Amino acid sequence: MKRNIAMVALPAAAAAAAALLADDFVLRFLAEILLFGIAVMSLDILIGFGGLMSLGHAALFGGAAYAAAIAARQWGGDVALVLGSGIATGMVLAALMGVVVLRSGHLFLLILTLLMGQMVWEVAFHWREVTGGADGLRGLPALSLGPWTLSTARALFLLAALLAAVAFVVGRSFVAAPIGRALVGTREEPIRMAALGYSLFAVRFRALVLAGALAGAAGALFPFVNLYVGPQSVHWTQSAAMVIMLVIGGIGSLWGAFIGSAVYLGIQTYLSAYTDRWQLCVGLVFVLTVLLLPNGIASGLRILRDRLRRRGA
Amino acid sequence: MPDFLGYAAIQTLNALSFSALLLLNGLGLSVVLSLMNFVNLAHGSFFLMGSYVAIFWLGTGAPWWLAFPAAFLAAGLAGALLERFPFRHFYARPHLMQVLLTYGLSLIFADLMRWGIGAQILLPELPGALQGVVFILDMPFPVFRLFLIAAGVALGLLLWLLLDRTIWGAVLRAAVTDRGIVETLGIDTRRVFTVVLVLSAGLGGLSGALGAGMLAAYPGLDEEVLLLALVTVVVGGLGSFGGTVAGALVVGFALTFSKVWFPEFANLAAFAALALLLLLRPAGLVAPPLRRL
Repeated sequence: MKRNIAMVALPAAAAAAAALLADDFVLRFLAEILLFGIAVMSLDILIGFGGLMSLGHAALFGGAAYAAAIAARQWGGDVALVLGSGIATGMVLAALMGVVVLRSGHLFLLILTLLMGQMVWEVAFHWREVTGGADGLRGLPALSLGPWTLSTARALFLLAALLAAVAFVVGRSFVAAPIGRALVGTREEPIRMAALGYSLFAVRFRALVLAGALAGAAGALFPFVNLYVGPQSVHWTQSAAMVIMLVIGGIGSLWGAFIGSAVYLGIQTYLSAYTDRWQLCVGLVFVLTVLLLPNGIASGLRILRDRLRRRGA
Repeated sequence: MPDFLGYAAIQTLNALSFSALLLLNGLGLSVVLSLMNFVNLAHGSFFLMGSYVAIFWLGTGAPWWLAFPAAFLAAGLAGALLERFPFRHFYARPHLMQVLLTYGLSLIFADLMRWGIGAQILLPELPGALQGVVFILDMPFPVFRLFLIAAGVALGLLLWLLLDRTIWGAVLRAAVTDRGIVETLGIDTRRVFTVVLVLSAGLGGLSGALGAGMLAAYPGLDEEVLLLALVTVVVGGLGSFGGTVAGALVVGFALTFSKVWFPEFANLAAFAALALLLLLRPAGLVAPPLRRL
């Protein structure tokens, strides 16, 4: 019980402190971390729990971002409309992806999700009348919730924090629910699960659609925090970046996803201010993470905590 | 009517020359995937490296035909070094880790090449024998692309003989099927792996050298080529020479003709067609019999 209260109180206190103390730049940056954290967490449900290795997750996130931006330019920035169009787009893209990729084995899954993601990128890059092509979309209306306008960095940050909290609860409920346990089962013992009468496709498909909804919700807010959405956000390099955030945070840990996105985006933001060879640094981050920290920060912290406990006992 | 025939012939030859390139490049990727179960996303870097080596070789005025072996050797050497560290330690790791490692390496190589060579688009100075056009049914067609088709067919045949008709190829195919049994026969499969990775990287470099005359060389080409190689391998199916040939032909024709019919959305149309194909045959065109335990 004490632990549950701490789990709610600590992030809430941190968010409130950030909202009161941080300046606009930091708040927008934190909101971006939270949104990417949600997307990475949804990817964790696929990779960490389902063993479904996807390299096309940015297509769900970025596709939803485009849909939300286009909807907002057309009909105004009502939060319900923006989130609804993002979530719907994320789910539809995930379902389409699922129909094609979930019939193949592990290795093909990786390559096919990459290809499906690139198909979304081709649309975003070439359909200039709607997506703005290489220039992307700018000049978005401010988000609004009923009579209030959510245009300040603080309001956007609080909205992102709220969304992250809801997404975390949804993610946690999903992995704790029977469907989540079945998903782990399909990863560990696919043949036994099939023999028990589970449809591997149905279980995995539902997980993928849920991940699409979560990534879509995060993607929907992304253009408003960033004031821009471009084809880079659906490119498979962005998917790879999400996977490395997941690895940095720790595969299989839902809260690790937020740590991973904070670390990666922090490195990105602060290093790119110092060096032109930014791509080289990203490559080094990938290689060093895989070589030195393959289990991520979350599992490192867990090991540390267990050690401290043992010493205390 | 002869106009239409000529046009169709030219586009078919275009598709064939592109398929030849895809075959050589995809074969390298496919062999490493099926033998070592290793996803090498740095394969495109070998291609681009081969392109640059060939362009500089052709620029120096040395005998032109040596540019291709030079690209093979340079990329093969890079492959040999990478195999020692870090690839060798990743053969048994999950695919996800292999993907992240090799993707990170490909970013590093891409940036190093951009740093050293610059971001401009480079074209090779082709020797006189490969320049110009020939007329096929009254339509002009570049000689170089005919050379590409010939090289693709010749090298493809050579590789097929090597893999299918020699004892070396037999060892390799046996190791794909069951590594443990090959080990008990007293063959060091680790050495086989090294040779295969060098061959794969070399093939990547060689196809880059050949491709430079058709696609030019520029930063970002490595990634485009990698995607095409992955599509080729997936469409064809893993683990067989015939599969890669079929994949290269299908992808080559799909991309060439979708460029004719939907110039703006060529890649999308081609990828969508290939995704449909994979819906019908999830394991690729030529799927080896699957053993499920």
